[in-house]
Amino acid sequence: MILLVDMDAFFASVEQQLHPHLRGKAIIVCGDKDRRGVVTAASYEARPFGVRAGMPMREAQRLCPHAEFVEGNPRKYVEKSLELLELFLTVTPDVEPFSVDEAFLDLSKLGDRGNGYEAATRIARGIQQRIADEHGLGASIGIGPNKLIAKMASGVEKPRGLTVMDEERFQGVFWPQKVQALWGVGEKTAAAFGRIGILTVGDLARAPDPVLEQHFGVVGPHLKQAAWGRDRTPVTPYHVGVDPKTMGHEVTLPEDSRDASFLEGTLLRLSDQVARRLRGDGFTSRTLVLKLRDFRFRTITRQRALPVAVDDHLSIFEVVRSLWRENWKGEPVRLIGVSASALEKPGEGEQIELFTRDERKLALQEALDQVRDKLGEASVVPAGSLAYRRATGHVPFGAIHRKDADAMGKGDPRVQRRAIQERLKGRGGYDQGADLSAPDPTQLKPRLDRKPRSR
Amino acid sequence: MFESLDDPIDVLTAFVDGAMRPIRFRWQGRVVRVSQVTGQWNRRDGQAVYRHFAVQGSRDDSYELCYDTRSARWRLNRAWSGPG
Repeated sequence: MILLVDMDAFFASVEQQLHPHLRGKAIIVCGDKDRRGVVTAASYEARPFGVRAGMPMREAQRLCPHAEFVEGNPRKYVEKSLELLELFLTVTPDVEPFSVDEAFLDLSKLGDRGNGYEAATRIARGIQQRIADEHGLGASIGIGPNKLIAKMASGVEKPRGLTVMDEERFQGVFWPQKVQALWGVGEKTAAAFGRIGILTVGDLARAPDPVLEQHFGVVGPHLKQAAWGRDRTPVTPYHVGVDPKTMGHEVTLPEDSRDASFLEGTLLRLSDQVARRLRGDGFTSRTLVLKLRDFRFRTITRQRALPVAVDDHLSIFEVVRSLWRENWKGEPVRLIGVSASALEKPGEGEQIELFTRDERKLALQEALDQVRDKLGEASVVPAGSLAYRRATGHVPFGAIHRKDADAMGKGDPRVQRRAIQERLKGRGGYDQGADLSAPDPTQLKPRLDRKPRSR
Repeated sequence: MFESLDDPIDVLTAFVDGAMRPIRFRWQGRVVRVSQVTGQWNRRDGQAVYRHFAVQGSRDDSYELCYDTRSARWRLNRAWSGPG
């Protein structure tokens, strides 16, 4: 039997738990409330007003002007996620963290204690009670014979719901629903299904295999199995570990921009962040992806496969800049992202560049990594990314808030120096905690192990 | 609303059973008594480790404090300044 524990409005609930005066109020967790960007999470009190995660902040402010806007803090949520993982591990050793706020628990090795829906329900209620008592949070739990059913069941009743499903009940609940209700079917796939007359999960379950194969290849019959509630994917316990498939960073710009040097500086900064993550976990990448969203919210992604795997920011930057120059038509840009896929560990099929490998460059890279491991991400940054960092208040050795930058005057170094000294004496102007490597909270997954940097 | 700050503060701190706990702190000329620590988490930047505490004052006031383990200094990161 499999359980999927899904924390209810996790980021917002953690904020409410930490700050009692926010409990029972509409709160919206966001990146920087003075800037643009999207809603990271909304409390259940904000949801009746139509506020949803991923919605532009301006829209959320319009829908729910009385909400409290709270700047999110990824570290806070990961810490809580790890505490919850500890709780789950007291129930079963087979726990797979699926995201920062979801985890699969496999009860099959618990013998009679975990066998059957009744035993699983008892365990699930106990978990909900402990999450409430020990952490002051709510969770919805889905119980099923496999991961697919457990995952989809967890979303049936929220918040603090508990839904038990076997294959028969799964079919009864989901077959009448639109095909995009099925886990793994996004908007584009749903539209493709729609073009061949498959509108509901039930339509997909009854579709002939050859038709599905013709239109969707091997994925078609696989999704048909899912429509029947069948799934053989095992729960992979956290201690076994699963290599990531992609690593990426993206940023919503402070304001739409068509300034090429600023945008390329941003690309360089993102390339640097991706390269650091690759090297940190000992990966190289053979495919790089550029993501662009323009002021009309139109999003494109372009990718390029590479003849040799890379893990340094300059190689990544050269490729994504080339993709950028080929695809950017000069319209204002809202969001830029860089990601690396086709990840491999050096030695696993890598063509070692015996004659092109630049040992000095590698030694420099390792030295720079050591400096940043010791002093923090902002201690050394590519010079080309400074335009971006200045614009957003991120500079090496910490951030100067925009108001301070304004107060410091522009151009006169004596005025600036005096202002800095004042700030250091007074209400601390330098934010030594500027965490440039902080990942997008919506893509967080608790980091359970730290592998050594290796090459 | 929460006000984002980065103010250096003096904090009276208790160390009990290997755990540290802020007891009261001085900010803007007044002393805030910590009635409850509602949560804590750590953040790393390079080798620096920062310990963060979410605390309640004696009334409906709420704060986030940060202790820099390298410099043994406290800062006030956020303060609740009443309904926005």
